[in-house]
Amino acid sequence: MIEVRNLSVSYGKHVALTNIAISVADGEAVVILGANGAGKSSLLKAIAGLAQPAPGAQVRLGGRPLLGLPAHEVLEAGIALVPEGRGIFVDLTVSENLDLGAYARRARTNAARNRDLVFELFPRLAERRRQIVATMSGGEQQMVAIGRALMSSPQLLMLDEPSLGLAPVMVGELFSALGRIRQTGVSLLMVEQNVRKSLSLADRGYVLEAGRIVGEGDATSLKDNPLVQNAFLGMAEDA
Amino acid sequence: MLVTTIINGLVLGGTYALVAMGLTIQYGIARIMNLAYGETIIAAAFLAFVLNGALGIAPLPSLLIAAPAGFALSYVIYGLMLRPLVRRSGGGAGLEVNSILATFGLLFVIQGIMLVLFGGDYISYSYMNFGVDVLGASVAANRLLALVLAVVLGGGLYLLLTRTLWGTALRAVAVAPQSAPLVGIDANRAARFAFALGGALATCGGVVISMYQTFTASSGVIFTMKALIVVILGGVGNLAGALSAGLLLGLVETLVATYVSPGLTLAAVYHIFLGVLLWRPSGLFGKARR
Repeated sequence: MIEVRNLSVSYGKHVALTNIAISVADGEAVVILGANGAGKSSLLKAIAGLAQPAPGAQVRLGGRPLLGLPAHEVLEAGIALVPEGRGIFVDLTVSENLDLGAYARRARTNAARNRDLVFELFPRLAERRRQIVATMSGGEQQMVAIGRALMSSPQLLMLDEPSLGLAPVMVGELFSALGRIRQTGVSLLMVEQNVRKSLSLADRGYVLEAGRIVGEGDATSLKDNPLVQNAFLGMAEDA
Repeated sequence: MLVTTIINGLVLGGTYALVAMGLTIQYGIARIMNLAYGETIIAAAFLAFVLNGALGIAPLPSLLIAAPAGFALSYVIYGLMLRPLVRRSGGGAGLEVNSILATFGLLFVIQGIMLVLFGGDYISYSYMNFGVDVLGASVAANRLLALVLAVVLGGGLYLLLTRTLWGTALRAVAVAPQSAPLVGIDANRAARFAFALGGALATCGGVVISMYQTFTASSGVIFTMKALIVVILGGVGNLAGALSAGLLLGLVETLVATYVSPGLTLAAVYHIFLGVLLWRPSGLFGKARR
């Protein structure tokens, strides 16, 4: 469904990504593993139209070239991003955030159905729809962010470290919600530090190191991969 | 006497609130500090004057011309003059300084055109200039109409921004412009619309002001200044704040002019301004930063 080829991103002299090639098939869940500063966020940003890749890169969604489109058009094409730090409108209410999630033209016809789905996934949001988002806990804000992204009827949902800073209980809830989102047919592309949980959710994964892809494979083989075990799983034991 | 004074104060305050709402939208959403804002108001006052005198169109229906004209003019000004500045600043802090300098120049262009066309004299026309009995006091009908218009236009704008998806999108751009594209909002387009909407409010305010006040080609600066005070008092980008600060300012000015001395109105206004800034630097309704 989405094909990324030859993607390089640099900020001034700092090279964040070099010749990245990844793909996500329809309905697939793919995780990108990598240490801090490996370029994971830059990859998602480049796909979302928020970072400018070097010439020669290709990003295609269902064959349609996306590169060069502004971020709001990328969303309109069917790719929603939940960025690091969530990017929600904390001064507005839960309900207003979800309404804005359906602002895109592609989202308007299914807005009511998507809202039901979001409230089914996160009943807490239904209880708190009049609440200002800034007054909510980190986990609840992450629900708002994911709910808002789902409101746009995405084909591909991209998540940048969704479990960052959440209490362990919330992390469990988050991943079970992501599992249910998968079942609705949405493809997932996520960047995660929680390697165990994300590999049990994902079909496949890529390992990113210093801006290059150094390993890839299906989730089970990555779990046994010594590269992944040494680099991440040892440290992620208690997560 | 007191009732008349309070109603006159509310009229003046309602007008301040109306024009300040436009400025707070331009600054809060489009992030343009528009120093030519008062000139837009005065241009609309002249438009109402000409339509009334030369074509016999009363000020009330001329709002239907002034509002779209203000919208279109501001839309074009944004595209020609401000969009390049926005693009150059790349979302950085340079936009504020650049927009202040650019609109400072625009102020003199518009003012110059008006001076050439109409000269520097004080201008007024007579419209609904008869007394109406309100709670035993006689109040000019044109002032009452101005108050009603301020309430209707201000209230309409408030509902538009809080009850429609389009308005919610504009508020979203105001609070987190970098997050707006994540939900498919074209932040540049929203900024341009917000600037144009603010311009439409300025021209509505200008028509309303011309109904009961004299004005000259060079009185725009005073309105920019008053609107700016109201915006800062109320908290930047805050409509309810602009409304209450506008009313407060109008009441204080009128009360001081009537019971103390007309020469002290500006002094009183600045005392309140300083007091509020010392007590709540982000305005009466603004959120404390840091």
